[in-house]
Amino acid sequence: MANHALYEQLDTAIDQLLDGQTPHVHRDLTDLMQLAGNLRTMPSADFRQHLRSDLEDHALFIAAGRTYRRDRTNSRVLQMPRREAAEFISPTRKRWETSGHNAESALADDTLFRALPATYPVHRTNLLASFLLHTMALALLVTSGAWFVTKKIELTKTDNLSADLSPYVLTVAPKASGGGGGGGDRDKLDAPQGRLPRQAREQFNPPAMVLRNNNPKLPMEPTVIAPPVNIATNLPNLGDPYSRVPLGPPSNGTGSGGGIGTGYGSGVGSGRGPGVGPGFGGGIGGGIYRVGGGVSAPHILYAPDPSYSEEARKAKYQGTVVLWTVIGSDGRPRDIKIARSLGMGLDEKAIEALKLWKFEPALKDGRPVSVQINVEVNFRLY
Amino acid sequence: MVEAAQRDPSRFAELYEHNFERVYAYIARRVSNREEAQDLTAEVFHQALANLSQFEWRGVPFVAWLLRIAGHALADHWKKSSRDPVVAGDTIELGVDHEVERCAILNDLVDSLPPDQRLVIVRRFVDQRSIREIAHELQRSEGAVKQLQFRAMQALRAQMGDSRG
Repeated sequence: MANHALYEQLDTAIDQLLDGQTPHVHRDLTDLMQLAGNLRTMPSADFRQHLRSDLEDHALFIAAGRTYRRDRTNSRVLQMPRREAAEFISPTRKRWETSGHNAESALADDTLFRALPATYPVHRTNLLASFLLHTMALALLVTSGAWFVTKKIELTKTDNLSADLSPYVLTVAPKASGGGGGGGDRDKLDAPQGRLPRQAREQFNPPAMVLRNNNPKLPMEPTVIAPPVNIATNLPNLGDPYSRVPLGPPSNGTGSGGGIGTGYGSGVGSGRGPGVGPGFGGGIGGGIYRVGGGVSAPHILYAPDPSYSEEARKAKYQGTVVLWTVIGSDGRPRDIKIARSLGMGLDEKAIEALKLWKFEPALKDGRPVSVQINVEVNFRLY
Repeated sequence: MVEAAQRDPSRFAELYEHNFERVYAYIARRVSNREEAQDLTAEVFHQALANLSQFEWRGVPFVAWLLRIAGHALADHWKKSSRDPVVAGDTIELGVDHEVERCAILNDLVDSLPPDQRLVIVRRFVDQRSIREIAHELQRSEGAVKQLQFRAMQALRAQMGDSRG
């Protein structure tokens, strides 16, 4: 191979080698490329001399009994020049040695952090002690405020009280409520069951199931004087919800005074006055009892299990629905409301089931009475 | 020489000059670039100087002690750089790594080249300059520089052969 071609090929191969590639060369150049591979890591021209200078500095430090520190950020050592270090150390050592002191111990307390290691050694114990003292002082400063000022913040959890804007429903008293009303227009037939007229503070027109004047000059809505009461009936016509006659021809009842029922007055029921139910003077008569105080609890006679909603079954949802209900004197639940909801359709399933339940009614003085109870309907998946 | 350096640390320079090439070649063959090799070499010699008083003559050459320090320095280096060590500190085979000897001799021989050839070799391999840059620096043609490079390497090969023979 011509020399010129060899020069070119060698140079190209060296370029590839320096680029980290593996060159393929003529066999005449194989030996040279091995040499080139070794030359690639040859030290830089001044490294050897720099390192020697650093080592000579290091040797000076050792001779002077100093700790030598090497700066790793550069491949060569960055320290005080040898001549300068020698000039600095010598007078100090000489001064202390001539004064009869130990130069090492005297120099050690000059400084803790000295940039030039040729001058003062760093004692690690001093550094540690200083660090601990400063840390303790800082901690004392931070915590000392707590010795004088102690502020206790008590957090009180309050339930979120939301305003109930629904109509006020008369609470059930442990004994029969007072008040009541009654009426009737001396009909020969008892008034059948029906819904109550609107409860109001004033009454302009007594309720009537049979209107005697079909063309009044000033039509007014019939009302009874009573607080809002939740007596659930699905009957469209006005009537006496407590009547013994569930169905019958329209009648205002055998009472008198213009209302509906067997009593006297402009109310509804067997009492007297513009109210509802037994008693007199308006308001709600009769009412609902609570268990206790002479009122026995109703006993379950028939309680079919509630069915699970499909949604809750898929979600494997379990829990308890609490229902507010009144067990009437006939042992049937009515006025069912949800006291604690569970969701996922289980509330509705609980109500459906409770409507099918039958109770032995609560008794007061040996007579069956209506009582309000809470019924827990459990939903469990097994 | 070692005892003299133990008595007078300034004499360590002689030990350094005598062993530099082999320590450097030993390290350079085991790291990826020149900077790491130089840093570790400096570390080894500084450690050796600092602990020279602990060296005891047990029939093993001084360079073995240096290479042992180099092995530990390499292990620390690999540990820090999370690389698998190629050679553990305790498994250094002393005196049988001919490639290290070869590299050490080669580095030494570069200094014995004629100045223009030596400059070309240093610029090409240490400074990693291109032929064109070197030619510009030397005020010579690229062909001439390539010829110098070729002859320098031929001379090194010849001297290496002589040193081996």
